[in-house]
Amino acid sequence: SISSSAASESDAEELQKEQHARSVLRERFLRCLLAATNKKVRFHMHENVNVEATFRTSDIDVLNFQVSDLHTPIGVQKEALIRCQDVISFTFDM
Amino acid sequence: MQCNWLLSGPLHWFRFVDKQVRVKAGKDEEHLGWLLTVDPVSASVVLLNFREDAALVHVVVGHSVKNVEVLQEPDPEMTERLRSFFLPLTTPILDP
Repeated sequence: SISSSAASESDAEELQKEQHARSVLRERFLRCLLAATNKKVRFHMHENVNVEATFRTSDIDVLNFQVSDLHTPIGVQKEALIRCQDVISFTFDM
Repeated sequence: MQCNWLLSGPLHWFRFVDKQVRVKAGKDEEHLGWLLTVDPVSASVVLLNFREDAALVHVVVGHSVKNVEVLQEPDPEMTERLRSFFLPLTTPILDP
């Protein structure tokens, strides 16, 4: 059996590994969001809805995307928030 | 490969970084690409597809990811290309 001190040591090591992975992944993602800023983005949403807009930003927990010039089937919305829950994926060119 | 992508955790997601993957999402969608990262907050997957002089970035939002499968390991050149893809070309100077 593992003594409690050895267990807590390996837990600490595991936690450190996890935190490192988390920071690398998050930095890459934030740089990706930064790169998307002011670009034309195509959102693929539920029920096979596809809309285009200019990407502005997202909130820190990625619950909403702020966009401009959202092209909807009934017209262009100058500024809009898109709920992340309604989105399946989005694409842009670099 | 996993039934709950959202709860997999950073160490699991990290295994897919820089690899060419197939992501199943939504009802019956499939996306292929080089996996740049997985946002540890929303579990969203960022895929890159390189073309001649441009790249297509595909972000699959975490809640719609059903499955991720590795297709190919990267060579060192691809790893470097992915690592530096979104990095700024110049380092900002922070001195006053």
